[in-house]
Amino acid sequence: MRQTIVRALEEVYGNLVHMIAEFLPRFLVMLIIIAIGLLAAVVLKYILRALLGLTKLDRVSDDAGASRVLRMAHLPPMTELLSRSIFWVTWIGFILVGLSVLRVAGLQEQISRLFQFLPEVFVAILILFLGAVIANFLSRTALLAAVNAGHPSPKILSWSIRFVIWILAISMTLEELGVARQTVISAFSIIFGASMLGLAIAFGLGGQDLARKCLERYLGDTKEKEDKEPQPL
Amino acid sequence: MAEDVLLSDDLLSQLMSVGEVDLLVGMSSHNTANTVSHLDAIEESFQRNFVRQRVVIVNVASRDKGEDSVVAKGPGNLAEAGVRLPGITSLRTSHRVTANVAGPPSPGIALRTILAAADLLRARACAVVSPAGSNLHPDSVANLLRPVYREKFDYVAPLYTRNKYQGLLARNLLYPMSRALFGCGIRELFSDEWGFSGRLAALCLNQDVWHEQAIQARPEAWMAISAISSDFRCCQAFLGEKSQATKGLGTDIVEVLRQTVGTLFWCLETQQSWRLERGRSQPVPTFGPAHELTSDPTDLDRHRIFEMFRSGVTELEPILSSILDPETHSEIKSIVALAEGKFRFKSDIWVRTLYDFAASYHHAVINRDHLVQALAPLYRGMTYSFLVEHSDSSPAEMEAASEMLCDEFVLQKPYLMERWKAKVEVKS
Repeated sequence: MRQTIVRALEEVYGNLVHMIAEFLPRFLVMLIIIAIGLLAAVVLKYILRALLGLTKLDRVSDDAGASRVLRMAHLPPMTELLSRSIFWVTWIGFILVGLSVLRVAGLQEQISRLFQFLPEVFVAILILFLGAVIANFLSRTALLAAVNAGHPSPKILSWSIRFVIWILAISMTLEELGVARQTVISAFSIIFGASMLGLAIAFGLGGQDLARKCLERYLGDTKEKEDKEPQPL
Repeated sequence: MAEDVLLSDDLLSQLMSVGEVDLLVGMSSHNTANTVSHLDAIEESFQRNFVRQRVVIVNVASRDKGEDSVVAKGPGNLAEAGVRLPGITSLRTSHRVTANVAGPPSPGIALRTILAAADLLRARACAVVSPAGSNLHPDSVANLLRPVYREKFDYVAPLYTRNKYQGLLARNLLYPMSRALFGCGIRELFSDEWGFSGRLAALCLNQDVWHEQAIQARPEAWMAISAISSDFRCCQAFLGEKSQATKGLGTDIVEVLRQTVGTLFWCLETQQSWRLERGRSQPVPTFGPAHELTSDPTDLDRHRIFEMFRSGVTELEPILSSILDPETHSEIKSIVALAEGKFRFKSDIWVRTLYDFAASYHHAVINRDHLVQALAPLYRGMTYSFLVEHSDSSPAEMEAASEMLCDEFVLQKPYLMERWKAKVEVKS
């Protein structure tokens, strides 16, 4: 009886030593991978920051209105955001690779799924960024054109364009991430269709005078309008 | 110079058959009727004023319009062309050359072709005449060519008789600003008609700017500024009344601003090292009357102009706040709040506004095309103020006011320098 207990304890001890002997090198490898990852992430961060500084991305981002969106969300400027993102993505990638070295049951499958999902997250962020840039540019173009043409409600026109592009960008982002795909498409169709129908009805019925004026302005005789302002040159 | 790509084989063979010339007049034809009358006017000018000189007319036309039969008669004596004037016999052959380009020729493409032809033919004096309009006066062509050919000037800007309420962008912005910053008081920096020497043509032809949008749309101001900055001799020649033909873009203020102010700001950007060193402006010799103003009655809707200024400044507040200095912006907001009868756009605020726009264009705080468009409401405010202030002014009083505005631009030049060199703060 006593010998059996001692043998069992020796066996458990042996297994433990064997496990530790197997685990420790892997753990050390993991730590090394994480440390290398940290170094690589820092290097990449500084390289990207320098490159983006050369391309004056912050100015482009500001011009496109993306900086304002970032400030509203209490996020850093575009260059800093992208450099920090590359740092964290790189380091997290190395951490996950390091964790996979431990060969913990079930963890490897989750890690590989996470890696598969990363490109979609990047594409989604890119879609949102481009959406913000395009929405800001086009809404400002519309605002300037409407103001300079003497349109009675330039801000409404400008905000409508911004709203439609944001809705489109958000829908595309959610679809890219695979979040309630059917619901998103249906919701977008309903919101977009309803907005357009509402605007058409509002313009045609509620704003008959405005509609008439607009049509007269664009289709009518422009001679009268030209005589009202002095020749600039 | 890249004649091999710029000049087609057909054009090259036409030019080689012409040989060297003394005078070259270029135009880009828009329609056949105008082209014929313009050619007659140019040839009449040659016959009357340059009997002994070797001359050529270069017409840049769209390949699709098929104007070869009208314009390019090829080398021939004026007498053969059937436009001989009584008592005048040309001693030289008059040549007509047609340069066909794909699509409607833009001013930039047309000018580049004309410059290339002038360089190849070693023309001493050249002129570009307006393609639009129905009548071109033969004296206008001679007045543009004569200062270059006889007086050795390199750039000849036109001067016109104007209604005192017309050409306000030139009077209140383009002329005083370019005079203050480039040091040369050319009144008509943007015109469809001007003259230039062969050496200026060669200088401009070799610049790597022809792909720029500003040059494609309005190359004449850049050419004038290039002449000034290279210390070429510039002058002005009086051409008479500015006809409907040369009014170009009409009252589409936004398009005019894009083409003129956009080009002026672009020139500031490209000539900045030279501009910073320049002192006070040099007087420009003028042939003929310096400046003539008429007071014909006009049908201007001042109230509408003021309302467009007021609504524009209000609606564009976020955009203007990113362009203007906070102090300038608050002053503009304070004058917007004034009643229409009390509103005046003071010259110091106007100058500071324009310098803010120029500096913001340099720093590209927003899209540059948007920036220039945002100037339209403010220009309308200045226009309204000008119309009210000078409703009863005599030409002499208006000239005095113009001089004061020019002085204000010079006085505030350090402000522009300060803003130009300042590190741009990224605003939302």
